[in-house]
Amino acid sequence: MTKYGQAFLVGLQSNLVYRWNFAVRSLFWFCHLLVVFILWGAAYAGNPSIGGYSFSQTLTYFVVIFILQFFVGAFNEDYQISEDIRNGLINQFLLKPINYFAYRMSVFAAARVVSGAFGILALLVALPFVRGYLDLPHEGWRLALGIPAMGLTALIQFSLAYCFGMLAFWFLEIQGFVILSMAVETLLGGQIVPLDLLPPAAFNVVRFLPFFYQAYFPAAILTGRQGLDFALQGLAIQAFWAFVLVCLAEAVWRRGLRHHTAAGG
Amino acid sequence: MDSLSRYLRIWLASARYSLVRATMFRGDLFIWASVELLWISVNVIMVAVIYSHTRSVAGWSMYEMLLLVGTSMLIQRFLMGFFWSGIFEMGRNVRSGLFDFVLAQPGDPLFMASTRKLELDGLLNAVVAAALVVYSVRKLGLHPGAGAIALYACMIACGVVIHYSALVIAMSLSFWITSSQGVEGSYFTLMEFSRLPREAFGRLTSILFVWVLPVVVVSNAPAREILHGFQPWWALGLLAATGAWLALAVAVFRSGLRRYTSASS
Repeated sequence: MTKYGQAFLVGLQSNLVYRWNFAVRSLFWFCHLLVVFILWGAAYAGNPSIGGYSFSQTLTYFVVIFILQFFVGAFNEDYQISEDIRNGLINQFLLKPINYFAYRMSVFAAARVVSGAFGILALLVALPFVRGYLDLPHEGWRLALGIPAMGLTALIQFSLAYCFGMLAFWFLEIQGFVILSMAVETLLGGQIVPLDLLPPAAFNVVRFLPFFYQAYFPAAILTGRQGLDFALQGLAIQAFWAFVLVCLAEAVWRRGLRHHTAAGG
Repeated sequence: MDSLSRYLRIWLASARYSLVRATMFRGDLFIWASVELLWISVNVIMVAVIYSHTRSVAGWSMYEMLLLVGTSMLIQRFLMGFFWSGIFEMGRNVRSGLFDFVLAQPGDPLFMASTRKLELDGLLNAVVAAALVVYSVRKLGLHPGAGAIALYACMIACGVVIHYSALVIAMSLSFWITSSQGVEGSYFTLMEFSRLPREAFGRLTSILFVWVLPVVVVSNAPAREILHGFQPWWALGLLAATGAWLALAVAVFRSGLRRYTSASS
């Protein structure tokens, strides 16, 4: 087994130790879903359709968005990376033939396997309540394009978190930056409102930003909010952003190391 | 009276220390103030997008909804500004034994723990939330008199006390359990409900979020007072909830404190 395979297994074990954190996160998920249900239920009262979508379609969109976050969302990777830098733990990686990005990516993948399992569990618990509202399209291409889109979403989310974690090379405290970016990502990623409800001009700007591909894009493919042409174009833009962000992560790492001082034994 | 002026002097000393500290880390203050401003903006954009597709949510117009969101934000920002850091550190200090430091100070432990730090960024954004309230009131063509404004301010104060009490109860759990992780997340999740109109809740959800946990009443009562004038039942309900939650918080804190066995706990 490769060294990154081992890192994945260790990551799997350590994430299972913190299973209660994921269980608590699942509980929050129920509350978020309840807020969405109450708010959008009230908005749809008397309106059969909003932006061309029924209440069921909008609720399905939010359920998929939430579940996607369990599978591809970067939760606290930025914080873990910044702690590695601040505490000097990163020094051990400088002395070994290990690529830190690949190592962190392996741990991230392990964490998503565990949180994904909790996401499925949360969905199974919620299913009796939301089953009547779920409205998923049945075209096969949606799954065929949605799965690679999810993979690229994971890469974009991780690369962004990695870059923010790297800020610890320059700043003592990065939590402010992380939460600042979280607000932007939450809004422009379509976690607050489906982005297709934005005015067309705003939507056409947002669709070229990386945040668009952090949650909305795969959810829009899977829930039928966008067609085949849009999905194919979007995949190309998403692949471009994934490439740019991975390159940026490598550049920030190299630049950060020039600032780094490894002290002690 | 002497005791009150002594506590005021202690609080002023803490406030002065916090202000000096905030001006020392100006970059940090700027980042955190931006974070809070961005979250307020995210909520305003969400309301604007929803209302671009519908005229009413649970009978509330867009500016009525913005008034509710502004009121909820105002309460949250005051809580963050005056109490958040102190109470949040309490959980960590109880585990590490650093709570001894609070007990050694010349005052009531709950007061000393809660008022140690003032967060300037939260208070700066309270001004933004207040501006949102004023803007909404003007757009609604309302002209509340001095009495109505004073009553609104009292209701906001009651809201802050209720939120403060809930947070103290949650953080006091660290006297019994080793980890109070997730408390921050649970607080912000519950706050989402406070931005929803009372009329949007169904019978079942009302029991939990209106009657058991006063998250909805806290924000709806002051907003309704501005919109519809003095409503005795809402005012009395809020006052009763404030007294009950504060008494419960003090009781839970004191009960927890009896379990505290200093640095070895």
